[in-house]
Amino acid sequence: MCINSAICRRAAAGLVLSLLIFSGASAQVTSEDIVYYTDSGYAEFASSVPLHSFTGESDHLTGMIDLRENLVDFYLDLNTLETGIGKRDRDMYQTLNTEDHPFAEFTGTLETPFSPDSSGQQVARVRGDFTINGNTREVTIEGTLQPQNGSLILNAGWELRLEDYDIEAPGILFYRVDEVQEIEIEATLNPVDPETLSSE
Amino acid sequence: MIISNRWTQGIAVAVISIIIVFPNRSEAQLSRERVETNPVVEDIFWGTTNVGIGTVQNVSGNNLKSTVMHTFGLVSGGADVFWGLDLGANTRLGLDYGITDKVSVGIGRMTFNKVVDIRSKVNVLRQTESGSVPLDVAVKLSTGISTLSGRGLAFSERLSYLVSLMAAKKFDRLSFQLAPMFARFNRVSAGDQNNLFGLGFLTQYELNERFALSAEYLPVLSDRNLGTEDMMALSLNINTGGHIFQIFFSSSQWHGEQYIMANNSDKFWEGDFRFGFNINRVFGL
Repeated sequence: MCINSAICRRAAAGLVLSLLIFSGASAQVTSEDIVYYTDSGYAEFASSVPLHSFTGESDHLTGMIDLRENLVDFYLDLNTLETGIGKRDRDMYQTLNTEDHPFAEFTGTLETPFSPDSSGQQVARVRGDFTINGNTREVTIEGTLQPQNGSLILNAGWELRLEDYDIEAPGILFYRVDEVQEIEIEATLNPVDPETLSSE
Repeated sequence: MIISNRWTQGIAVAVISIIIVFPNRSEAQLSRERVETNPVVEDIFWGTTNVGIGTVQNVSGNNLKSTVMHTFGLVSGGADVFWGLDLGANTRLGLDYGITDKVSVGIGRMTFNKVVDIRSKVNVLRQTESGSVPLDVAVKLSTGISTLSGRGLAFSERLSYLVSLMAAKKFDRLSFQLAPMFARFNRVSAGDQNNLFGLGFLTQYELNERFALSAEYLPVLSDRNLGTEDMMALSLNINTGGHIFQIFFSSSQWHGEQYIMANNSDKFWEGDFRFGFNINRVFGL
């Protein structure tokens, strides 16, 4: 199949060289090569209005921190948020328009240095795109990462302004909902084989 | 120039080979997957009871629903009786607790006959958005105890029972329900029936997230008590977030299906209807 034997030899040499380089790299797997994953993280949306405060909580936060690619990717099925009152949950889903946009999601990169070999709590800052109700804005979120027994403990919190994402707060005669929602997430991410993750 | 082209071709072959050998090094998001892939249709009706007929709607798990129901005198009484409001109300106060999202228990007490009722509702099927389950089906059981004093009645003679099978379906904003039901009264007046069969018809149309219109009709299909009529009601349902208000006109002043079938004596379409309202409030426990 080779038209020119010289080209074939050079291509073969290049391929062999490439294989050697990559096989050498994969043989030296370091902690920076690990992908951490969770599908049972905790997420909380808190609305703090006097006499009408309530919190939507979910244990279905799903995401990964890919140290190889410096990729931080999380999403939450908003229909799993529960406030403690079934009817209020369903009204909240309508407000968040979950029928058309069922997920809140963040995709970005880790901006601060992180060492998975250090056991202490490390401040982590990520920058990326946060999407809810089909609207996307760039955000910077600060939190902490703490390696623990091979896993990563993640804690973060930030504020979400409803109008930034075209979410119309219910009228005062309906629910009283704070225009600024406090979001908190907590998750324990475990190392996984990246090949097992389903990706888009 | 020829040598340069050969090197270019060689490098291209090597790069393509690497891509084939190492396809997974590119950056990729997680695929987004719903937790519940076949969700049920929610809020087929806004109230667990429409006006007088129970609906397939149940109290959510670990939620407590309090209800205040009022029905007044006939509107046809005119201004002299403030269109029925001066004639006094039959009031039912009730509590229902959701053991799970599909099973609830409740207790209530109404003014007429000082009836205390204990009831339970179980959702057997839930309509799904995919259509894999086309209907909501629920069973309601209720026992009523008349606590009127001075009648010389034994405990068992004060009891009545209701079992109702409710099948409902929601099409976008429009919901329908059929509810065949059987009522049993342990003791009745001479000429009245111990057993009554009825078929409840319910419909609700959601105008928007705040307002819905509903109607119900409850004909008695078996031999009926003397002087009784089929019950009918029209209602405006208002969702304020914290509360569901039901403002209605109904031919019956009674609460509870078995008492409506046994006692309603007014004809809606002949102008014999009364104003009433229900207030529903749910608390998370």
